[in-house]
Amino acid sequence: MLHHPLDDALRELLPRLRRFAQWLTRDPTTADDLVQATLERALSRWSSRRPDASLRSWLFAILYRQFLDGRRRAQRHAWLLGRLRTEEEPQWPSAEREAVAHAMLQAFARLNPEQRSLLLWVTVEGLSYQEVAQILEVPIGTVMSRLSRARQALRRLGEGETTTPTLRVLR
Amino acid sequence: MNQPSEHDLHAYVDGRLDGERRAAVGLYLARHPERAAELQAWQRDAQHLRASLAGGPALPDNPALDPAAIRRRRHQRTVARLALAASLVLCLGLGGLGGWQVRGWRAAALPMGDALTAYRLLALEPGTRPDLVPQRDGDLQGWLDRHFQRRVAMPDLRAADFRPVGGRLFATEQGAAAMVLYRDAAGHAISFYVRPPGPRRHLLPRGERIDGGLLAQYGSGNGYNYAMVSRADDADAQVAARALQPLI
Repeated sequence: MLHHPLDDALRELLPRLRRFAQWLTRDPTTADDLVQATLERALSRWSSRRPDASLRSWLFAILYRQFLDGRRRAQRHAWLLGRLRTEEEPQWPSAEREAVAHAMLQAFARLNPEQRSLLLWVTVEGLSYQEVAQILEVPIGTVMSRLSRARQALRRLGEGETTTPTLRVLR
Repeated sequence: MNQPSEHDLHAYVDGRLDGERRAAVGLYLARHPERAAELQAWQRDAQHLRASLAGGPALPDNPALDPAAIRRRRHQRTVARLALAASLVLCLGLGGLGGWQVRGWRAAALPMGDALTAYRLLALEPGTRPDLVPQRDGDLQGWLDRHFQRRVAMPDLRAADFRPVGGRLFATEQGAAAMVLYRDAAGHAISFYVRPPGPRRHLLPRGERIDGGLLAQYGSGNGYNYAMVSRADDADAQVAARALQPLI
């Protein structure tokens, strides 16, 4: 088997991708499936990659889109098959539960997937606002206003208040 | 002075603002203590978030995610697809010779399509969870017993190293259907699908077909329709065929 120089770069990013997927899906098995699907797609699309995007933000973009597509498809299939129970309460494994006991993570876990992604990309991964705008395919101004809402929501949840339903619907 | 843009406020929080613009935001915040308090809180939240996420438990190794392993699987799939394409060309050639009707071919492609859809949903979609994940041997058989009046014997694929990993119920026009998903160490999936024949008691002769790289083998027995779905490659298909044998 040939050794691909790209593989080392991917391997190095693997923990970040897995962490992001964990926080997106909130289910370890689903998260790893998502990472696997992301890597498969990345390898098959390698030649069509935008040269200006960093490898990291490109992979985050694929993963995020796969997550959204998967959720949409699952909902459609479920509807076709007459099942409406797709958005069940996520199951945290016990180890995770301990970590989530931390107040900050608890608040973070209650944000919607997009808000979790935004905060993870900006504050933890240090992606530029421009990169985030490319991932979400929205203008940079929209990223800023969504970031404001995400930070306000985290603040509120961290202080023990609950978000009102209207705020959860707003994106 | 003017209020700084939303961009500059976030950039200030994230430490991405330099020189004059940073000074300008600082000046603005000095005159707007409420806004300053909010931005400070955002900054604290960001620090806490970084610290708590970094302190989380390390993820267990998952060799399936190694890029080399993924490359290998991609290669195997390409080979399988080429083989499938070759057999399709052969089929079409024979079809041309034999004067097959496309219509007839389509009709033959219909039985147990729901089994294929269910396989794709549960085995191939990231994000779809089974209704039941077995904790002990017999969990899934008990679950089948609860949902079907007559006994549905769940195939045992352990000899081929496939283990049941989950079961899910589906609503179909013919009534409730159940699927049990098996996986082997390489992550290959085989499904066992069972449903009632429906009000018109439509039982099936034994048959099989390939659809999008997946093979469905099906038949009827004991008043139910059964299908085993697997990847179309030889090894998995044989395991599925052996499992179907005693049921029909």
